[in-house]
Amino acid sequence: MLAARASAARNASRIARNFATVVDTAGVKVAAVDNGQPTSAVTFLIKAGSRYETKPGVAHALKNFAFKSTAKRSALGTVRESELYGGVLSSSLSREHLALTAEFLRGDEPFFVDLISSFITSGKYLRHEYDEYVVPVVEAESQAASSDSATLAVEAAHALAFRSGLGSSIFASPHHAITTEEIKSYASSVFSKGNIAVVGTGIDQSTLAKLVEKSLASAASSVAPATSPSSYFGGETRIQSHGGLQTVFIGFGTTGPADPALSVLSAYLSPQPSVKWSQGLSPISTSIPAGTSVQTVLLPYSDATLFGLLVQGSTAQGVKEAATVATKALKESAGVKGDELQTAIAKAKFSAASALDGREGIVNTLAAKIFSGSETSIESTILALDKVDAAAFSKVVSSIVKGKPTYVAVGDIHALPFSDEIGL
Amino acid sequence: MNALGPSLAPYIRSSRTLSKWVKPISVWYANLMGYRKMGLKYDDLLIEEHPDVQRALTRLTPREAYERAYRFKVASQCSVLHKPLPKEEWLASSEDVRYLKPHVLDVIKENEERAAWDEMTVQRK
Repeated sequence: MLAARASAARNASRIARNFATVVDTAGVKVAAVDNGQPTSAVTFLIKAGSRYETKPGVAHALKNFAFKSTAKRSALGTVRESELYGGVLSSSLSREHLALTAEFLRGDEPFFVDLISSFITSGKYLRHEYDEYVVPVVEAESQAASSDSATLAVEAAHALAFRSGLGSSIFASPHHAITTEEIKSYASSVFSKGNIAVVGTGIDQSTLAKLVEKSLASAASSVAPATSPSSYFGGETRIQSHGGLQTVFIGFGTTGPADPALSVLSAYLSPQPSVKWSQGLSPISTSIPAGTSVQTVLLPYSDATLFGLLVQGSTAQGVKEAATVATKALKESAGVKGDELQTAIAKAKFSAASALDGREGIVNTLAAKIFSGSETSIESTILALDKVDAAAFSKVVSSIVKGKPTYVAVGDIHALPFSDEIGL
Repeated sequence: MNALGPSLAPYIRSSRTLSKWVKPISVWYANLMGYRKMGLKYDDLLIEEHPDVQRALTRLTPREAYERAYRFKVASQCSVLHKPLPKEEWLASSEDVRYLKPHVLDVIKENEERAAWDEMTVQRK
């Protein structure tokens, strides 16, 4: 009986503190969620994405420099020692953030927090490590990205939509040589206390805060590199490519913080069915030709949003038909109301909530909010989605569609349609 | 034995009296060796076939690698002609810097660390 009571109390406390709270620890923002997972993970989020980079490709090179030699241990020592603990180290780059992650068994957090923060405070950026370990990976990643037509289309769309800042590619280009000095000076400008946030899962908030405070004590507290606010431009481009699928990206953008109505629009248009082998309720899925696919792409950033439809297919003719259908559905969706809108809102709410089940989803959700200090709870997101009504939805959709479209065609550019041919 | 060979230099440098006595001899011997007359630096004489040196050579800056290759060309021309360079083109002792040694030492240290990790035994605390 006592056991039953104890577990009930534990459940109650878990419900009460359902999501991470952000605490400012000596200038570094720390958030932790502990749902009782058997493993822990700590992610250091740094505002060092490609939008802040001083030269094309520096952010990408810095991402691949993670976990190389520091004043405390060599690159080999980092790998061997974390293998002994059974941990997994990874780094990832988005347009806004560089994320350095360590996943490990509970109890090993002092070592892994120290490992990541020693890279932040005392990375050596050796020239031979850059040539021997970093450059091959950077080149391979850029090569893989340039041979994937969907990635190519989204990258080109960003460059058209935002030009500089958010428009700069997250992949290094082969046309810009980068030296270790440039990476080092970029790193020293972005690795400052106000620019770093730490997100932990499966770890106690106070433990993490204490460890972070101790290990980042020597980090610089200089001012973060300034960026100009994003503005949306739009435009059209066509990229010749062979071997991949024929791809068309139809995008629209806005500036300002992410609007919940756009998540609803994305949920409404997304042809991904909720039930296997069904076509779903999306206005797009029933009328596109066989062999083509349409995906909704919603990319919210701190001061701008890019919403788009990625149309792919094996033939240019099929892609043209599907893109025409998708454009028509997007333009007509301003008039959606009643049950159709409620279904879309429910779908958007579910996907926002279920993202928090996984580690990656938690980090992505917190990354968008932790630096601005806005409300991080899922309730606030769901409440914002609930508030979307037919009038607000149609206003947002018609305003975004009124803007200049971002149109990218990748593949056989002689056969793929131009933007005016699909009704844009 | 590693790529750099045995050396008493650290011991001699640690004693002031000893280094005062030995330094003139070392300067005399370095000039006697004759590599400077061919325009070479001491680190050009390291045995290139050694794997550690091979790895260290890849870590030179493009400029250093170019100058090393150029010195080799000059020296082989001297060898063909069977005579040293004219005296004003001899390498000055101030230019005879150990440009490769730090890289070789780094490589040796890395190999030692790798061996240490490979042979370690884990003790549970």
